[in-house]
Amino acid sequence: MNEIPTMSAEQLGMSKYTRRQFLKFSGAATAATAASVLSMNDIAEAAITRPLPLGTPILVVVSLYGGNDGLNTVIPYEDAAYYSARPTLNYKPETLLPLTDGLALNASMTGIKTLWDAQKVAIVRGVGYPKPDRSHFSSMAIWQTGSPQTHLSTGWLGRWLDNQAVDPMMAISLGSVLPPLLAGAKQSGSALPLGGLIIPAGAIGKACMRLSTASQRDSKLSAAAATSMRNLFSVSGSITPVLSQPAPLDDDLPTVSGGNAGGDSNLTQQLNIVAKLIAAGAPTKVWSVSLGGFDTHANEANAQAALLGTVSTSISKFLSQMKASGRSKDITVMVYSEFGRRVKANGSDGTDHGSAGPMFLIGDRVQGGMYGDQPSLTKLIDGDLAVTTDFRDVYSSVIENVLLTPAEKVLGKWSGRVKAFKSA
Amino acid sequence: MDLKRLEIARLYNRFGFGPRPGEFAQALKAGVAATKQNVLNPPQIDSGAVTPPVITDLGKRPEPNTPEIVIFSRHLRAQKEELELWWLDQMVATNKALQEKMVWFWHGHWATSIGKVNYAMPMLTQNLTFREYATGNFSEFSQLMFSDGAMQVWLDGGENTVKAPNENFSREMMELFLLGVNRYTETDVKELARAFTGYQVSRSSGVVVYNEKRRDTKSVTILGKSAVMGPEDAIAHLVSQPDCAQFIAERIWYRFISSQQPLPANHQMIGAFAGREIAPLLSALINGADLANPQYEIVKSPVEWFVGVCRALSLTPSKLNSFTKMHGYLEKLSQVPFSPPNVGGWPTDEAWLSSASAQFRIAFATWLVNQADLSAIEALVPAKRAAYLADLLAVVEWSPRTSSALREVRDTVPRLVILAICSPEYVVSA
Repeated sequence: MNEIPTMSAEQLGMSKYTRRQFLKFSGAATAATAASVLSMNDIAEAAITRPLPLGTPILVVVSLYGGNDGLNTVIPYEDAAYYSARPTLNYKPETLLPLTDGLALNASMTGIKTLWDAQKVAIVRGVGYPKPDRSHFSSMAIWQTGSPQTHLSTGWLGRWLDNQAVDPMMAISLGSVLPPLLAGAKQSGSALPLGGLIIPAGAIGKACMRLSTASQRDSKLSAAAATSMRNLFSVSGSITPVLSQPAPLDDDLPTVSGGNAGGDSNLTQQLNIVAKLIAAGAPTKVWSVSLGGFDTHANEANAQAALLGTVSTSISKFLSQMKASGRSKDITVMVYSEFGRRVKANGSDGTDHGSAGPMFLIGDRVQGGMYGDQPSLTKLIDGDLAVTTDFRDVYSSVIENVLLTPAEKVLGKWSGRVKAFKSA
Repeated sequence: MDLKRLEIARLYNRFGFGPRPGEFAQALKAGVAATKQNVLNPPQIDSGAVTPPVITDLGKRPEPNTPEIVIFSRHLRAQKEELELWWLDQMVATNKALQEKMVWFWHGHWATSIGKVNYAMPMLTQNLTFREYATGNFSEFSQLMFSDGAMQVWLDGGENTVKAPNENFSREMMELFLLGVNRYTETDVKELARAFTGYQVSRSSGVVVYNEKRRDTKSVTILGKSAVMGPEDAIAHLVSQPDCAQFIAERIWYRFISSQQPLPANHQMIGAFAGREIAPLLSALINGADLANPQYEIVKSPVEWFVGVCRALSLTPSKLNSFTKMHGYLEKLSQVPFSPPNVGGWPTDEAWLSSASAQFRIAFATWLVNQADLSAIEALVPAKRAAYLADLLAVVEWSPRTSSALREVRDTVPRLVILAICSPEYVVSA
């Protein structure tokens, strides 16, 4: 089971991900390095026996699926061009949460505004990559592999994992499918299904355990099927009271108008579990959570505001939960989406796929403020914002300042940095 | 590996939803060539066909907190339940296996979710179109999918107007439905969106109407061709591209043969699709050599697994003891008919093999087996049961690991059956 995903010459020769490869990759990631799906109990046991030392930096990556409209997130509310590009899809200035430089946050993001006021939020403007790809699937693959030009079969955090000691607890994604982000060549991150796993007991449990042993005769997929069942039985028995509470219900989110491009729908629940596990001392340095629904081609304003409200509220709640644990100083939250949206609204009070968008870095280690240049609303490239900051500048800084690893090991030679972290 | 068994098992598992009791053993006697002919030339009339539910237009959603909304919600829930059960019953009961499997394929291809469409009526209409064109003419089929109400709602087609075009539908039409990613430019996406302007859809009925005022009547340039084009001309132009044949062959390959290995260059399906007829493309695939190649394994998706179990154990989805439970298991396994996760359809292979799905599959299997009549297996001497199950389930061969696990429980038939349907050999179509 230690095979690296094989790509045909034809696939390797292609410069971009096809959707098929992306899906294959996202599915194959777990099997590629036999990364297990974890149970709460696994993590609980590890948290008790080998807790993460206090003071170890922790990265929480929040992926927004569907292409978040950056211009209605960090809003250039003093720019006349904003109102003329979006005559019926703009916000009235007095409803917004003003920052600096003529920018304001969407009115729903009060939690992040409070963190901004405490100088814990860095907003990196105009983030993207050369030759923007407007396919959800291709663009998300580019962001997650960290490689715009040539396609790689590993995620950028997967390559970071490859440089760490083998430990299934090192990086964990919430949900039962592992995102390509955490797929490494030597080891992959683990997936933690919400609600955890229940191990079949009694005679049928014993029989299934026998059925899940490896067989010489197994083909690749049969072996993967056996492994998935075997992992079910390799979980430990100890449960901490912290984790055995029932998981809260899903958010009631407006997936109606932007929900056909992937991502999960229960960010609050995911971050709540991450908070509990970090507080319990899980030996995990990277967490991945996601929210879908940002593909707002129509009637964007209410849907996006509700989604951004969820992002803002769940992150601020998460950070306040961290305060109680004594680990709030260790946490950095990074928020991104696969692309921003077209500057000009379409006829349906929505926006089509665009290019650059803002990224957020949030936490005590972050030096709050604006970074990168705000893309001009009048000097557009084919109707889209110009990219002013390459996402690899942000990744490099995160890898060095949060993951304490030379960025070159993950991204190769890359000189750009976003100096958004306090000096240690 | 017994290649004859392999090929016949694939004909049942991939080009249908698995055999019913006795069918596989019979097909083994008839041989590969005869079985292929049976798959490709089913009876004219589907004697197993289940009549589609009568679904009425529920009209506009009433205001919140009114007595009307309560009644409306109850009707809507009942319609969605009826729709889901009808299709699952139809998959289990059909005698035109390939036709039904193609309906399922097209549902994953033109992937539209009731999660956004919200009404059952347009979803049923779309499914009936899939049925009509399952193995028919792809050009006509694509035209109908443009004016499909559920699709128009799903991809904001009704929002696409001359004043400001909405690119959602035009992009997916090229990327996911007709050509494949990177086989067009961003300009093509914008131009196609203009050709698609002018249509409006009633959400509850799915009726699509043309509104001239919203229409962009200027010339557009799509893949090098400039003309005043409406959706009909534009789609005909896209479907006539050589890339369209390549793409549809790739998608069929991906779902029926292998998502791990790419479609071999110049595959015979591409030439067979020259007239854009789907049936010859399928014949070319089925009559080719790929089915006998052991390297092309594929994991059964949860619905394929569930329907296969129902067919083998003579269960009817609508007669199971709880709709809520059945629906819940499918949901936990992440595959419910009419609810694909996104416009790209469902994932494949390893995506279905997490420990979480292993757990739910065992629980689902236990629930199903407890409702099945197992007397035919009980009647056999224990030593013959594993071999019988291999034929019942169209499993090519049990591995030594599974054989020994089955041997240990062969005296307890329900447990034996649960193990067999959860085994790697059944979950994966070799």
